[in-house]
Amino acid sequence: MEYIGLYPMWYEPGVGSGWIVGLIATIHVLFSHTAVGAALFFAYLATVSYRRNQPELLDFIKKYGLFLLIFSYVLGSITGPGIWYSTTVASPRGISALIHSFVWKWATEWVFFVIEVVGVYMIIYLVGKVDRATHLRISIIFGLASYGTMLIIIGILSFMMWPGQPEWFTDGGYLNGFYGSNTFAQLAMRTAFMFTMTAVVGGVVAGAIKDAAFKQEITRKLALLGMVSTVAGGLMFQWYMNTLPDTAQVIFENRLPDWFGMSLIATLAGIFAWFAATWLQPRLLTPSIAMGMTVAVLVFGLWPEEVARESLRKPYVAGQYVYSNQVIARDVPGLDIKSEIPLLEKKGFLQTKVFVPDRLRSVNPHNALQAGRSLALTTCSNCHSLSSTGMRPLANYFGGNTDVAMVKTYLQGALGTGNTIYMPHIPLNDDEAYALARFIVSLNPSPQPVVRTAAAPEKE
Amino acid sequence: MDAAMLYALRDPAGVPSHPIIFLVLGVLTWALHIAAVQVMLGASALTLYGAFSRDAHWRRLAAAMLTTAKVAVSVAIVLGVAPLLFVQVIYDPFWYTSNVLSARWVIGFIVILIMAYLAMYAFYYRNHDLVRQPTRSAWQMVLSLVLILVVGWIMHVLSYQMLLPEQWMSWYAPNGEIDPGGQTLHGYSVTRFAFFILLSVAVVAAWLFAYRRYLMGRKQEDAGYIAWLLPLAHKLMLAGGVVAVASGALWLATLPEKMAWFASSGWVWASAIALLVAAFFPRLLGDKLDQGLWGYAPFGIGAAALIVVASAREALRFITLLGSHGYDALDYKLNLDWYSTALFFITFAMLGGVVLGYLLTVAWKAGQTKGVYTPSPALTRLGNLSIALLVIWILQYFAIGFYVWAR
Repeated sequence: MEYIGLYPMWYEPGVGSGWIVGLIATIHVLFSHTAVGAALFFAYLATVSYRRNQPELLDFIKKYGLFLLIFSYVLGSITGPGIWYSTTVASPRGISALIHSFVWKWATEWVFFVIEVVGVYMIIYLVGKVDRATHLRISIIFGLASYGTMLIIIGILSFMMWPGQPEWFTDGGYLNGFYGSNTFAQLAMRTAFMFTMTAVVGGVVAGAIKDAAFKQEITRKLALLGMVSTVAGGLMFQWYMNTLPDTAQVIFENRLPDWFGMSLIATLAGIFAWFAATWLQPRLLTPSIAMGMTVAVLVFGLWPEEVARESLRKPYVAGQYVYSNQVIARDVPGLDIKSEIPLLEKKGFLQTKVFVPDRLRSVNPHNALQAGRSLALTTCSNCHSLSSTGMRPLANYFGGNTDVAMVKTYLQGALGTGNTIYMPHIPLNDDEAYALARFIVSLNPSPQPVVRTAAAPEKE
Repeated sequence: MDAAMLYALRDPAGVPSHPIIFLVLGVLTWALHIAAVQVMLGASALTLYGAFSRDAHWRRLAAAMLTTAKVAVSVAIVLGVAPLLFVQVIYDPFWYTSNVLSARWVIGFIVILIMAYLAMYAFYYRNHDLVRQPTRSAWQMVLSLVLILVVGWIMHVLSYQMLLPEQWMSWYAPNGEIDPGGQTLHGYSVTRFAFFILLSVAVVAAWLFAYRRYLMGRKQEDAGYIAWLLPLAHKLMLAGGVVAVASGALWLATLPEKMAWFASSGWVWASAIALLVAAFFPRLLGDKLDQGLWGYAPFGIGAAALIVVASAREALRFITLLGSHGYDALDYKLNLDWYSTALFFITFAMLGGVVLGYLLTVAWKAGQTKGVYTPSPALTRLGNLSIALLVIWILQYFAIGFYVWAR
């Protein structure tokens, strides 16, 4: 018996598993980018403090560091593995593909991560307890190690979108998968925006500084950092977009809402204006307003960006060979990976998927609805909610159609051929297409399915 | 769930180094992780006990253990990343299935851990000075400890469900009806969980010996407090040893049939001996505990004992899955990648060793010093070397990256 290694499905009917992953990932990006940017900013401040004999800068490092200890290192260090956990349950083969190609890269990142966690405690709690040259040295180590984590994860994120070099498919090799133009463009963009986030979040601490002159100095430093990094990030975003593969460009133009580009520009302009205002009038900066700005960046900047990044790599979830529905969709000779599509075309999902109850392995008039549900869970539910809420509800794509034969024809024509942009190739034999169509029709609020096929003549 | 199905679930990309490397690293890093978890649990319990006490020494210990617990959570999380990574590499069919079958709890794990951590910090901010101030909002620390035990339970279940592939289908599709909600924690062993939790008594005792030695290194430290710590550490170590052996025996007595072989295996004997040696080691040292760096030795021996226990835990998993289910974790398809393998080990040994060696030495020495600590020239050179290694690492990242990009 030949199997394809599809795992059991987790289906979350409220918002959908994809959005849960997205939510955790977006929050983590805010925490982690802020932390890395702050680590480098601290190294800069520690250097200035040392050279100009300004010990009050170390006090700011301590205060901001303590805030980040909770904000970034407590919450960030949990949401980081949290992304693993959430993708494990939402997209096990997607995360597995990344893990198995980049396990050593992640292990290397872990070394930097350990240094980072030790470092953050030291730069906070050793202010005034070690000489300033030593504190500066620790700050630099902390900053470099933090940036090391960013360098590593960027390559993996880029691979998710598109393996760095086309040779990766034929020759394999970590270097071919990790490095490409998208890697460096994404690194440049994220490096810029991480400073933006550092400057926004830093306002929460700077806003509470009592000494007016010192508050002005710190606020202006943060504002300058924010303005420069926002402009640089916008420019790097253009570079990043130019490194995306053609399919992603087509999806960007056709699948993302029209307002997406404009909203991104508006968000960047708003952030820039905020920094400009606080540079001109530092007293505008208060902790509550800065916290509001942080939430705004999260909602209007990071969330759309993460959603767009998820959309642009469709129908794949990892390395342009693992579909969102977890099926391996193409050969990767470099790693001796075979596409599962031919086997699915030959034997179907129900016969080959490991986690299928025996009574659903072949479709019959008595189990068609449940077999269809099993198929919908497997082939659709990663991206489409099977209920009326959540992510892209499946029923919405069929306009209330209750004609099973018509839906079946559509499924086999549009998805079974693999010619629909943005959608995976889903081979469905007659029985499975019928079962899936029955289930989709049943999602209508008052389904009165029109069943016309001779193969399964049962009516409800 | 036959072997063919389990093998089908494996990732077709294979692994970039021999699987034994991931297995060994998984054991070692899990031992480090569980040590931090047990220090955190033990320190949290001592914090609570001390916070409810009026005894000045207990209150001082509570303050110190609160700081310990706070940092130990961070350390436990960061150290936990490594075994979490390695288990996915060679046991992916088991780990992923177990997680998906209890998916809501997996997501809950993240939320509950955040709540536990925040509750601990909230208690810390309410009780900056437990020595002089009465305890405030003790419920926050109770809540934190309870929530930490809940996340520990979730992690226990996820690990334990891996060992029960024969039940997966009945969990996923009870009576043939697929239930994709992932809302149930299906498989667990209360006695196994209790063993690993109760082990924290002995581990925190070993930690107390090290803490005492650390205080002895500081000038003008309260001798009465240091003297008070010694019998407490001894008592806890003895009690912890007894509890560990007793709860371990209970776990072994309740092993399911397919794992019954484990109870009489050499792995169990080795673990029992290692734990007993660790438990009695401080008494064997006697006065030597106060000489040189011997005061740190109980924790070192305890860590070694945990590695033995971690090896036994891994043996139970490996042999059960091989013997009862035909899954050999060591015959994973190999797609050797020398570069990333070498880069990790060089980074781990050279960069990690030097940088962490520098940071931890500075932290330790600064803690031993009253006033401002200035490192020796040799230690400062190590700090400069740390920076140089980090810069070199970053340069090689870009140099190789640009080469690959441009060729």
